[in-house]
Amino acid sequence: MTLFLAASSIGDSVREIADTFGWDPWLFLSQVISFLIVALALRAFAYKPILRVLQQRRDQIAQAQLNAEKIKQQLAEAEQRHSEILAKANAEAQKMIDEARASASVVAERKQQEAIVAAEQIVAKAREASALEHERTMAQLKHELGRLVVDTTAKVTGKVLTSDDQRRLQEEASRQLA
Amino acid sequence: MFRHRLFFKSGALFLSAVLFLPAIATAAEGHEPPPLKPEALFQLGKLGVTNSMLVSWIVAVAVIIFAQLATRHIQTVPSGAQNFWEWLVESLYKFLESIIGNQLVRKTFWFFATLFIFILFTNWAGLIPGVGTVGWGHHDAATGVFHVDRPLLRGGNADLNMTTAMAAIFFVLWFIWALQANGVGGFLKHLFAPKGETSGPLKLLLIIVFFLVGWLEIVSILFRPVSLSFRLFGNEYAGEVMLGAMAKIVPALSWLLPIPFYFMELLVGLVQALVFMLLCAVFTLLIAQHEPGHERQH
Repeated sequence: MTLFLAASSIGDSVREIADTFGWDPWLFLSQVISFLIVALALRAFAYKPILRVLQQRRDQIAQAQLNAEKIKQQLAEAEQRHSEILAKANAEAQKMIDEARASASVVAERKQQEAIVAAEQIVAKAREASALEHERTMAQLKHELGRLVVDTTAKVTGKVLTSDDQRRLQEEASRQLA
Repeated sequence: MFRHRLFFKSGALFLSAVLFLPAIATAAEGHEPPPLKPEALFQLGKLGVTNSMLVSWIVAVAVIIFAQLATRHIQTVPSGAQNFWEWLVESLYKFLESIIGNQLVRKTFWFFATLFIFILFTNWAGLIPGVGTVGWGHHDAATGVFHVDRPLLRGGNADLNMTTAMAAIFFVLWFIWALQANGVGGFLKHLFAPKGETSGPLKLLLIIVFFLVGWLEIVSILFRPVSLSFRLFGNEYAGEVMLGAMAKIVPALSWLLPIPFYFMELLVGLVQALVFMLLCAVFTLLIAQHEPGHERQH
């Protein structure tokens, strides 16, 4: 009973407050509907498109950052590759230079040896030719000397020398010349 | 703590407005303050269309039209109305996200953002000259001044029907979000179950204490719509009363005295919109968040 009276008293107070402040169930319902219309209309037409655009923009920025990072990484890799290629090319070039140097040295040595051999051959041939020339000259000289000795002897002695005398005198002159 | 301080401040403002400012105005000019209830303009069946409802509808239509214009041709690089709307929506989203978290804001943003935007522009619309001063009235033969008895327009949130409507919608949504986050069992556990790890007689004691505290929590939850709606109504009505009083207290300075209070009311309109939205967001966060270690269960 007390509970019922208390509830009734609270109900009266609530009604009095509602009346004082102009609270009315129909007006309340109307405002509920108004606000829900605004909220749902804004949700559909105002928030979703904007939030979608913001999300797209965030995705684009994230993608751009990702791409930039990827490009940076690719650039670093390219630089690394470039350095490696350059180092490899340098090494190969150095190797080629070394090889060329070595090869040039071998060729120079070979050519030097060939030149020495050729020079020696030329010298030998020259010596041979000189020796032959000397021998020929000596032979002519002997022959001339022998003839001169024979002629001189014939003139000095005033006699005609035989073939044997001439041969003997020539042999004697050649022997003395040698 | 923050909630209690706000409640007391706004309650004090409301009390001062209701009790003292009408007295000032009445003493100064011998006029009654604006009535607590809105005036019915015409009837639509059982539904009476009031002057505050008219302002709410105008604001609602204006906000929807502006939002529609701003988002009609969305550009990747925003400008003009789209820029402003994007700034407003993004700022609100980030602000709410920092308070209630990434998951909850996705679900609840549409409601909290609408609360803020609608309350803010309704509050500011109530400050437009003509609201409360244009309408039907009578000539005072003694002073020769025209007094408005039935204003055509009234601040939308200076109507308890509007503020209770928003609070009631929040209450229903809060309940739905609470059940979605916790389930029925989890919701009851959230209210009545003891927190912390205890054992033995202390555990039994805590079960009894938390069971009793749970009922207090239910009373507190049930009174949230009341406090939310009366706080907003009180502040907005107090603002109207104060501006009216300032306009009448010294007739020769009626063009000057209300101006500082107009700036204050601009600030109050913003703060009240923020407070209403923040309290709703925090209430939702409190029921939807889980204790550490319980997150895996949901």
